[in-house]
Amino acid sequence: MLNRAMFAGMWVLAVALLGCSQSQDATQTGDAAGPDAAYLLVSMPANVQGVEDARRASENDQEIAVEGRIGGEEKPFVDGIAAFTLIDSRLHWCAADENCPTPWDYCCSNKTGKLAAVQVVGADGQPVAKDARALLGVKELSKVVVCGKAKRDEQGNLTVLAEKVHVVEK
Amino acid sequence: MFRLRLLPWEYGVRNLLRRPSRSALTLAALAVVVLLIFVVVGFIRGLEQSLAVSGDADVVLVYSMNAEANIENSAIAAQVPGLLAANLTGIQKRFDKTYLSPELYLGTRITVNEQQGLLGLVRGVTSAAALVRRQVRIVEGNWPGPGEIMAGRLAAAKLGVDPRQLAIGQQVQFEGRTWTISGRFTAGGSAFESELWCRLPDLQQVLKRQDLSLVALLLRPGANLTEAALFCKGRIDLELQAVRESEYYAALQRHYQPVRLLAWLVVVLVAGAGVFTGLNMMYGAVAGRTREIATLQALGFRRRAILVSLIQEGMLLAAAASLLAGMVALFWVNGMAIRFTMGAFTLRVDSTALLVGCGTGLLLGMVGAIPPAIRALRLPVVESLKAV
Repeated sequence: MLNRAMFAGMWVLAVALLGCSQSQDATQTGDAAGPDAAYLLVSMPANVQGVEDARRASENDQEIAVEGRIGGEEKPFVDGIAAFTLIDSRLHWCAADENCPTPWDYCCSNKTGKLAAVQVVGADGQPVAKDARALLGVKELSKVVVCGKAKRDEQGNLTVLAEKVHVVEK
Repeated sequence: MFRLRLLPWEYGVRNLLRRPSRSALTLAALAVVVLLIFVVVGFIRGLEQSLAVSGDADVVLVYSMNAEANIENSAIAAQVPGLLAANLTGIQKRFDKTYLSPELYLGTRITVNEQQGLLGLVRGVTSAAALVRRQVRIVEGNWPGPGEIMAGRLAAAKLGVDPRQLAIGQQVQFEGRTWTISGRFTAGGSAFESELWCRLPDLQQVLKRQDLSLVALLLRPGANLTEAALFCKGRIDLELQAVRESEYYAALQRHYQPVRLLAWLVVVLVAGAGVFTGLNMMYGAVAGRTREIATLQALGFRRRAILVSLIQEGMLLAAAASLLAGMVALFWVNGMAIRFTMGAFTLRVDSTALLVGCGTGLLLGMVGAIPPAIRALRLPVVESLKAV
């Protein structure tokens, strides 16, 4: 009986050690899956303009660098893909007492002409299939500079196909 | 070494039958308590089920970003359906028909048979709605033509009128116009069943508006929400958002969380009331049997055995009450339509409701019997034998 107990105890210990090592591996893997440096710029790029200025002056397929804050909508990120909405950083987000659903939706401000869409694209020109929050280590109201091609339409909307992003404030 | 000798099972059963009036009153009281629990849990389950089945995970709703969680507040441009059809490749298509449904959703005052001011839900649709809203089935009559509406199975319950007043051929008035009912439909218990559906151009004409509330589109197999979400992000001028219908109704579920919590609180309070009812009844029952209990002890039965017998009696009554309440709930309460702010739904006495109701009943029987039994057993045997 004592031998059975010892045998069972050894099995339990072995399983526990195996589980811990696997979970440690998973933790290490999780730690390694931080922001992807391939899409991040360490230093501030040149010729940065605000979202409002970029909407006014940029042309289709022009290379631009646009600074703004992630927000402008209640859900500025697209789940599962590296895309988000950018709002001009000169606008201030809403305070808690201004009865907006979230501070970053800017419902208390006039957002007309101050919003742009951003898609972080890979070498193939397609949006990266990873959430921007994980890809770039950003969240709502993070201040970023996105560098890439401007896509304009007849309605004046601006989409930046960003190849690189510089995170000014997380 | 010494096994506990219990009282015979028949002893407890015969004791219940020896005092038929008291047993019947206790049975009735417990049955009412358990039935109330069935009703409240059926309400919770019906509300949850209505919202759960309303959302199709393959349907994407595109509506106004400013509408928050209520599509009734949504207004989007009339050209959105065309833009979506032209720009999205993930929409289901079959025989050149795109599974895309533009809709106008409205809560308005409806007059039914001279009953004015009834709050109803009207949805203006095209024939594409039947392709996208896959759970909708016409059970009687036809799809609405000009000046006609089709009533959902629970539309009468939502309006608070007799279902015969929404029979085919009957007329209702809203937005200054008379509408004839052309058919009736079911939608698998979803929120659509509490609505009245009419032709989209008709509704736009009476409301004097060309915009829409939403566009519902069915994704083709393998497609996901991303394409629609990217389109909405890119067309900032249109102020759109794209959400899976299942997520929309999940958000509504969370919105009604306080109502559900309140309902569960009612369940607890009703169960508590039942415990006190049971306690009161059992105290009275045991008080009149003091000498009998003392006699059993004098005969050699241990207090634990007598306690088990008293609990057995309580649980027998509770089990009978639960069965009685369960039958009433299944045949009378189950499927009863309830009018609610967001529409109407039916009470659902499902397995969860039965488990909670019957479990509570049995618990009441046990908990209600223990305190009076313990009290009776604490009295000294000699004094109890002299009790009147």
